[in-house]
Amino acid sequence: MSYTLRGRLESRVVAALLPVAVAAGLAAALSAWWPVELAALMLGVGVALDLSAYHPLLRYQPGWLALPLGAIELALVMGLAVALDVRAPLGAALIFFSSSWLWAQLLGHAAFPLLRAEYGEDGGELPGAGDAAAAAAVIVLALTGGVAWATRPPVVHLHGVVQGPLLLNREQTLVGGVVHGGIVVTADGVTIRGTTVIGGDYGIEVRESRRVTLERVTILRAREDGIHARRSAVTVRDCTVVARPGTQGIDISFALHEHSEVSACNVVGGRSGIEIHFTMAAVHDNVVTGSGIALTEMSMGSLEDNTANAIACSDHSICELDGNTAPSFSTTFGSEAKIEGNTFGRTTVSADSVIVR
Amino acid sequence: MRCTFGSATLSPVSESCAIIGSGLAALTAKAALADAEIDAVVFGDQPDPAAAWRVRAAAIRQTHMRSESDGHCRPRTFPGLAVRDTLRKRDPWPLLLSVTDRYRPSVDAFLADVDAVRKDSAWDASFRQARIAEIRPIAGGFLLGQSPHVPGTCRVRARYEGPFKHVLVATGHPGLNLPPELADDPRVVHSYEPHEYGEHVAVVGAGMAAATEWRNASAAGAEVTSVRRREPLRRPLNLPRHLFTKRGLAAYHRLDPWTRVSFLRELSAPSYPPGREWEVRVHVTQCVPDEVDQVICATGFVQGAQHEPLLASLPRQDGWIELSPGATVPSLTDDTRTLAVSGVHAQWAFPAADTLAGMRYVAHRFARRCRTR
Repeated sequence: MSYTLRGRLESRVVAALLPVAVAAGLAAALSAWWPVELAALMLGVGVALDLSAYHPLLRYQPGWLALPLGAIELALVMGLAVALDVRAPLGAALIFFSSSWLWAQLLGHAAFPLLRAEYGEDGGELPGAGDAAAAAAVIVLALTGGVAWATRPPVVHLHGVVQGPLLLNREQTLVGGVVHGGIVVTADGVTIRGTTVIGGDYGIEVRESRRVTLERVTILRAREDGIHARRSAVTVRDCTVVARPGTQGIDISFALHEHSEVSACNVVGGRSGIEIHFTMAAVHDNVVTGSGIALTEMSMGSLEDNTANAIACSDHSICELDGNTAPSFSTTFGSEAKIEGNTFGRTTVSADSVIVR
Repeated sequence: MRCTFGSATLSPVSESCAIIGSGLAALTAKAALADAEIDAVVFGDQPDPAAAWRVRAAAIRQTHMRSESDGHCRPRTFPGLAVRDTLRKRDPWPLLLSVTDRYRPSVDAFLADVDAVRKDSAWDASFRQARIAEIRPIAGGFLLGQSPHVPGTCRVRARYEGPFKHVLVATGHPGLNLPPELADDPRVVHSYEPHEYGEHVAVVGAGMAAATEWRNASAAGAEVTSVRRREPLRRPLNLPRHLFTKRGLAAYHRLDPWTRVSFLRELSAPSYPPGREWEVRVHVTQCVPDEVDQVICATGFVQGAQHEPLLASLPRQDGWIELSPGATVPSLTDDTRTLAVSGVHAQWAFPAADTLAGMRYVAHRFARRCRTR
């Protein structure tokens, strides 16, 4: 097909109408804006490529070229989604993109030539339908995008010292600042970034919340655990926690059906530096000083490239360990550990536990 | 002796659209009109729209088309011949070949599709066996004049059909082209005429038909000499692909007449597709050797609208009729009537007008005028 510029744009916009409508429906059903944001990204990337690359470079476009061009568009859309913090689940985003791409191919190669006899010789132009579709797509995207923008979770910038405890009970992003007295999270989709928390019963407590991200947080002088998550899915990265003796630096518990992640954290002190209890988790690239890391009580997870005084996999847990360094490692109470490439001093294995090397 | 027109009679028929010609261009136009639910009368010599093409294809032992999946007479490109082939054989291979622009339908599949289009478009019901000798413009339309001879005399009794508001001339190539210097040579046969092969064969020409004849004659055991004045081009289709759509056509239509003429001359250079299947060992010379026992002229058709009596009086640029981008004759087309040209004579509007894609392009534009005026 030799598209005219107008033909490319009209075909793309008309083909995007259904995905945009589906995205709007999905957004309403899921109470999430990522479908609309993803649809807008797909359309935006496509139109930008049409204008800047496809039209000037491709005087003729054979059918097979749709595959590599689709792969390029997919890479750009996913890259932009990450860069612009579009919170689309990867699997769902891939399915949405692939379905939309397939739909566009079906329209371009079969439906449009069938419905409009002159489609091919007119270079993909869809007189009338093209204008109407462009208007419809722009209106739908503008409306949903506008609503999405108006109702998007707020970003709260803290300046200076704030007296807590702070209760975060709706989706939001908290950035910076120093909070005295701790933070309590009770809503899904909360992000805390670059905040220092001093004191409080717990430094940051997360209760029954999903998609919680704690990034570059510093926790000091909490009376109990530094980060305390229950029945939640939490991503903790680049954190610093100084824990009191007899407490946990980071304790993520009772969320066997959720997946949490702790990475690149520096934990000092405590009875246990990082405690994963009855939870699925990936713990990697952390440094724990003065205490250890433990997966306990039927937890399932991986520990990679961590450094600690001790590492334990206990109480019917299933652990994969790779590249960790610790003076002691223990597998006890019916646990199973698969270990490879670790540097351990003393290794203790109870009679009912298994180590697979 | 000079024949003169005698008395004229006017047929009571007054459909709005007429097609003059009964070949593939006419069938393509008829199918496009039928698709737009427009009745049209077809005037021609042959009730079988593939009759002339079939003979030529058989003469050069053509087994596959040069055109691709959309090389058919239907008004819509989808489903094309590759899709139909895939569905019929339950084999995805034709479709995969089509996606990579490598699908070439077989001649049998193409002709079967022509028969299907003939049936679907009610061709036979619209066909009138008549040779139109004159297109007479009248207010708001045209009268089409037949000129049957009055038996036993040299007089011709003109009989007019119509009037028709919209007329498409799709008369095809004016005739086979034979180089004048070979006209009286008893060894000569045109490639498009039925023939067998001698022991030492000279093939004159360097286009698709010539390349096919090199293969055929070699396969028949003949020693083959290619007689050509210039090296042929190797390209998959007659023209670069963008010239089949609005993208390339927009620039083409902006060319001034002189540039357009030289562009068309360049495009008419002989060519055949790339690929090993076309590589045949032949001797190459610039003139026909005396020792050959057969000379096959793969020299195509007589070029130029001056050789087509119905079109000879229209304004031309070096043999090409000056047409609008929609393949209408500007001086005889207005808001009330249309005179359009399809097939090889429409190259001023569509450089590949002698291809099935070109015929469909003209058919769509003619149908649009018939529908809207």
